[in-house]
Amino acid sequence: MDINNNIKIAKRTAVVAGTFCLFISLLLLLNFIQMKSADPLESEVLETLVQRLSMEPGNEQLKEEIRQFDLMARKAYFTSLWQVRTGGYLLLFAAVILVTSLRIYHSLISKIEKPEQDEEPDDFTARTLARRWILSGTAILIFLALLAAFTLTDPIEAYIASVEDTEEPESEVERIEITDAETRTEEPEEEEVVVVEEIAEHTTPEPVAEEPEVPSFPGESTIKENHNALRGPFGKGIVYHNDLPTEWNGESGQNILWKVPVPLHAFSSPVIWDNKLFITGADENQRKVFCFDRHTGDLLWEATADNIAGSPDTPPRTTPDTGLGAPSSTTDGNAVYSIFGTGDIIALDMEGNRIWAKNLGVPDNHYGHSSSLISHEEKLFVQYDDLNRGRIVCLNVLTGEIIWDITRDSGISWASPILAGVNGNYQLIVKGNPIVAGYDIETGRELWTVSAMAGEVGPSPAFGGGLVYAANEYAAMVAVNPVSGEVVWEDNYYLPEVSSPVYGNGYLFIATTYAVVACMDAETGEHHWEFDTEDIFYSSPVVAGNLLFVTDISGNTYIFETDSEPNLIAKNILGEQVYTTPAFAAGRIYIRGEENLYCIGN
Amino acid sequence: MERKKTKSRREFLVSSVRFGMVLALGGVGGLALKSATKDQWVWQIDPFKCSWCGRCATHCVLNPSAVKCVHAYELCGYCDLCGGYLIPGHSDRSTAAENQLCPTAAIERKFIEEPYYEYKINEDLCIGCAKCAEGCSAFGNGSLHLQIMHHICVNCNECAIARVCPSDAIIRVRGSEPYLMKGDFTADGE
Amino acid sequence: MKLIPLITVILLIYTAALPEDVLAQQRFPAPEFESGYELPDVVTPEPRALANEYADVFLLASFLLFTSWLVIKKRSRKWILWLSVFALLYFGFIRNGCICSVGSLQNMTLSLSDPVYAVSYTVIAFFMLPLIFSLAYGRVFCASACPLGVIQDLVIIRPAKVPLWVQKSLGMFPFVYLALAILYAATGTDFIICRYDPFVGIFRMGAEFHLVILGISFLLIGMFVGRPYCRFVCPYGALLKVTSLFSKRHLSITPAQCIKCRLCEDSCPFGAIEKPTPDKLVSKIKQRSGRFMLYAAVIPLLMLAFGLAFSSSHIFLARAHPDVYLAHLLINEPEVMQDTENLDVQTFLGSDRTMEELVDSAASIQATFRTGTWLAGAFIGLVAGLFIISQYIVRRRTVFEPNRGDCYSCGRCMEYCPVEK
Repeated sequence: MDINNNIKIAKRTAVVAGTFCLFISLLLLLNFIQMKSADPLESEVLETLVQRLSMEPGNEQLKEEIRQFDLMARKAYFTSLWQVRTGGYLLLFAAVILVTSLRIYHSLISKIEKPEQDEEPDDFTARTLARRWILSGTAILIFLALLAAFTLTDPIEAYIASVEDTEEPESEVERIEITDAETRTEEPEEEEVVVVEEIAEHTTPEPVAEEPEVPSFPGESTIKENHNALRGPFGKGIVYHNDLPTEWNGESGQNILWKVPVPLHAFSSPVIWDNKLFITGADENQRKVFCFDRHTGDLLWEATADNIAGSPDTPPRTTPDTGLGAPSSTTDGNAVYSIFGTGDIIALDMEGNRIWAKNLGVPDNHYGHSSSLISHEEKLFVQYDDLNRGRIVCLNVLTGEIIWDITRDSGISWASPILAGVNGNYQLIVKGNPIVAGYDIETGRELWTVSAMAGEVGPSPAFGGGLVYAANEYAAMVAVNPVSGEVVWEDNYYLPEVSSPVYGNGYLFIATTYAVVACMDAETGEHHWEFDTEDIFYSSPVVAGNLLFVTDISGNTYIFETDSEPNLIAKNILGEQVYTTPAFAAGRIYIRGEENLYCIGN
Repeated sequence: MERKKTKSRREFLVSSVRFGMVLALGGVGGLALKSATKDQWVWQIDPFKCSWCGRCATHCVLNPSAVKCVHAYELCGYCDLCGGYLIPGHSDRSTAAENQLCPTAAIERKFIEEPYYEYKINEDLCIGCAKCAEGCSAFGNGSLHLQIMHHICVNCNECAIARVCPSDAIIRVRGSEPYLMKGDFTADGE
Repeated sequence: MKLIPLITVILLIYTAALPEDVLAQQRFPAPEFESGYELPDVVTPEPRALANEYADVFLLASFLLFTSWLVIKKRSRKWILWLSVFALLYFGFIRNGCICSVGSLQNMTLSLSDPVYAVSYTVIAFFMLPLIFSLAYGRVFCASACPLGVIQDLVIIRPAKVPLWVQKSLGMFPFVYLALAILYAATGTDFIICRYDPFVGIFRMGAEFHLVILGISFLLIGMFVGRPYCRFVCPYGALLKVTSLFSKRHLSITPAQCIKCRLCEDSCPFGAIEKPTPDKLVSKIKQRSGRFMLYAAVIPLLMLAFGLAFSSSHIFLARAHPDVYLAHLLINEPEVMQDTENLDVQTFLGSDRTMEELVDSAASIQATFRTGTWLAGAFIGLVAGLFIISQYIVRRRTVFEPNRGDCYSCGRCMEYCPVEK
C-alpha cells in the first residue's frame, strides 16, 4: 500500500517536472530563435536611423527616436540574457527533479520484476554477428576514407605546380631569345641606322621583317605621347602635352577627376602608357606592380614579384624613407619593367602576365636601392650602384638576358639614368659618385666622364639645349657637353638634394630641400630668380610647354612660367604628402600621394 | 592440475603486460614531465594581433563573453573627439545615444579638464564586440583594447574563440602573467 | 628617396626596432593634467589560483583512492553513488569541466609533438592518475570521478539490454575516435574531444546550440541505454579499457564464492557481466581455431589497408586545420578575395602573411597529416584485427564476473549478490 502510494507520488512528480522541463525548453528555444533572427544590438533599423541622422544632423525628432530605440534594444538584449540564464537554471533544477523521481519510480516498480529467462541468441551466434559487424564496420570506414580521398584532390599540389609552371616557360623563352640576341648583335649597323631614322623622321619604325614574333618598339613620337619612365619620356623631366590643368584642390575636390587609395605604399612614381598607369608598391613581405585605368582609376590588374630565383628570403634592410619600392617602373607599350629593393626585376605584359623575372643580386645599399629604370627598344638599363661597386646592367627586354654589364668608377648612388639624343644616337647619361658620364647604349662603353659630384648622389641628370646638367648637394652644378665631355659651366649656389634639375626653354630649374625653387640660364649658369616656398622638395620639377610644375612634400604644386622672372601661375593644394614625381598625359596630371593616387584634369 | 597451470600462466602473462603498461605510462609521463611547467596556461588576446572582427562577442562559450574591453589609461590621449566612443559622422560630441558607438553604452565618458575627457569601461555591460577598440585604433592611440577577463573565463581546454579568431590573436599565456595589457607592452618596448 | 642626415637615419633604424604598431598608434600624446587628475587603475582580476589547481589534483587523487577502497573493500554502492554526485557537482558544475582527464590526453599528445608547448603538472596528473588507478583497481575513475560519466550514470532510468554484438562492434568506435583525437592534437589542429564534448556545455551553462542539443540527446538516450558516451564514444575510456583489462585487482560481484544464482545477471546497465562459459561455446570455438590463426595473419594486411585508405584521405582530414582550409579556399575559389564579408579571408589579406607562406604552411601540415594518417590508420587496423580475433578467444569461466575492460566499477551488481562474506 505504502509502496503503491510512493509510486504514485513519484510518477506525478515526474510528470510535473517533465512538463515543466518541456515548457522551459520551449521558451529557451523561442528565445534562441528570436535572438538568432534579430539581434537587438545589431538592429538594422537603428543603423538606418543613425544613417539618416548623419544626412540631417539637426533633426531633433530623429535623435529622440534613436534614443528610444537604442534604449529598447538594450533592454531587449539584457532581458534576453537574463531569461537564458534563469531558464537554464530552472531547466537544470527541473531536470534533476525529473530524473530523481523517475529513478525512484522505476526502482520501486522494478522490485516486482522477476529475472528474465534467457531468450537472446546464444553466445556463439553473438560472436559471429559481432565479427561480421566489425568487419563491415571496417569496410565502411575504409570506404569512407577512400571516398574522402577521391572526392578531394589536393589543390595545394596543383597550386605549387602551377606556380612552377609559370616559371617554366620563361626559361624556354630565354633559350629561344638567346639566339635572337645573338643574331641582333651580328647586325649592329642596321640597328643604328634605324635609330637615326627614327630621330630624324619622327616616324614609327616598321617591325623588323625577319623576326615577326618580336614585338615592335615605339618610336620617339609615340614615346613622347606617353610618360613611360620617371620624369617622363627619356627621363628628362620634359613632357609634351598642352592644355594641362593649372588649378586644382585635393581638399575641395576641384578638378580632381578621381582619387583612389594606393594599394601598397612605396616611393616610386607613376608611369603611363596609353590608357594604363602603372605604379609599384612594396613592403617587407610583398613587392607588387599595379595597373590602373588612367581614365577611371579602376585597378585593372596587380602582379606580385615573387618566386624569383635568387630573391632573398628576407629582404635587405632599408630605411623607412626609401623602402623596397623606391625605383619607378618603365614601359615600352609591350611590357612594363619594374625593379625592387631586393634586386628583383620583373617584366610584365600589359595584361599583367609575367614575361620574365630575375634577381640582379641583392644590392648592398644602406637606404635601399632607388635608381629607376629606363629602356630603349630591346635594351633595359639598370643603374645598379651599391656600396660594393658602381655598376650598370643592360638587359634584353624580351628575355631578361644580360646584354652588357659594366663596372664603373663610381660609388653608391640613388640617381636614375636618362637617355639623351646626341648626334643622332642615344647616350645613357648616368650620375654617380663622383662621376657624371655618358655611355654607349649598344656596348656600355664609357663615352665621356666628368668627376664633379660628391656626397650621397640622389638627383638625376637633366638634358636639354645640347648640354647635360648634373647637380648635387655638397658638390656642384655642372653643365657638360656630351660630345666632347667638356664642362661648359659650373656653379655651386643652388644645389638640390633629392629633386632632379630640369631644362626648359633655355632655363634650368632646381628645387631644393631648403624650400627654394631656383631658375638659372641653361647656357651660362647665370642666376635668374629664386622663389621661397612653404615646404621642401623631394618630387622633381617637370616642364610642359612653357610651364614648370613642381610639388613640395606637403603636396603643394607650384606652377611657374618658364621665364626669367618668377612668374607663379598657381599654387595648388593636394592635401597629402607627395614624395613622387607626377606623371602627365593629355590634359591630365597624375600624382601619387602618400596614401592616394590622384587624377587631375579640367 | 591442468587448469591451475593455465591459470598461473595466464596470471604471469597479465602481470607482465601490466608491468609493460606501467613502464609505458611512466615513459609518457616522464617525457611530458621533461617539458612540463609549474605554471598553468590561460587564454589571452594579443592586442597587437587583434583585428577587431567581433567574433569574441559571439563565439565565447559564455554569454555574455568573457572577453571585455579594457582601457590602458596611460596610452589614452583623453581626446574630446574619441574614435572609440563616438560613431563616425556623429552629430555632436555628447553622451547622447545617437552618438555612441558602444551598442550597450558600456563606456562612460567623463569630463576631466579642458580639453580632456576620461573614458571608462563598465565591465558589467561590455559584451566584447570590439567596436570601440577598432575605432580607437583607427583614429586614436589604440588604448581601448580587448582582454580576456580571467574571473569570468572558464579556461576551456580548447578556447572556442581561439579556433575562429581570424588573426590568431588568442594565445595561451602563463597563468603567472595572465594579461597582455597594452600599456605594459610599450613600457617593455623601450 | 633618401638623404636624411645620418643622425635621423640612426634614429629611424633605432625606432624601427620597436613594434611598428606601437609607433603607429601613438597619435596623441598623453595629456599633462593640471587638475591633479590621477590615472585610474585598470582592474585585471587574477585567474584561478595555482593552489586551487593543486587542490583539484589532490581531490581527484583522494576521490580515486576512496572509490577504490569503496569498490574493493567496503563494497558499498550507496557510498559510490553519493561520492559520484559530489564529483559531478565539484568537477562538473563548480569547476566547469576543464581540464578533465578525457581532454588531457590531447594536451599530453601536443606536448609530446610540439616542443614549444609545455604541459602543466596539473594536466599530467589529471592524465596519469586515472590510468594508474585503473592498472591497479580497474576503472574507478569512471565510477565516481569523471563528471561526464557520472552525469550519464545518474540519469539511467530503465536501461535496455544492448545486444552483445552491437556492443562489441560499436565498442570499436572509441579507438577510432582516439586515433583521430591524437592525430588532430599532435598536428596542432584542434582538440576535437573538447570541441565535441556534449556535456561540458551543461556544466558551464552555455555552449553552442548544436552542442546543447547533442548533450541533451545523449542524456535522453542515456535514460534507456546506460552511459552511451562512455561505451561508444569516449576515447579516454578506450585507454582505460585496455589498462583495466590488466588491472591488478578489480571489483568482484560476489564477496566470496559465486553460487551462480543468476540474480546479478541483468543488474549491469552496461552489459559488462560475463556469464559462466557454456561448454558448447568452448567446443564450437575450439573447432574454429584455424579461423583465429587466419584472422591473426590478416592483421598486418588490415593495418596496411587502413593505413593506405586513411593516408589517401589525409587531405580531407587536414582540412580541419585553419591554414589548410584557408589555403584550399583561396586556391579553389579565388573570388572569395573580393568577398568583404568573409572575415577570415579579409583578415588574411590584410595581414602581412603572403599567399606563399600560407601555402607553404598548408603543404607542410598536409605532409604531417600524411604520416599521421598512416600511423592512425595502421592503429585502427590493428584494433579492428584484435577485435575480430578476440571473438575467437574463449576463457573457461565458471562464475559470474565483470568484464574488466567494460566494467565501470559502479557497484550496482554487488547489491544483487546474496552471498555474504
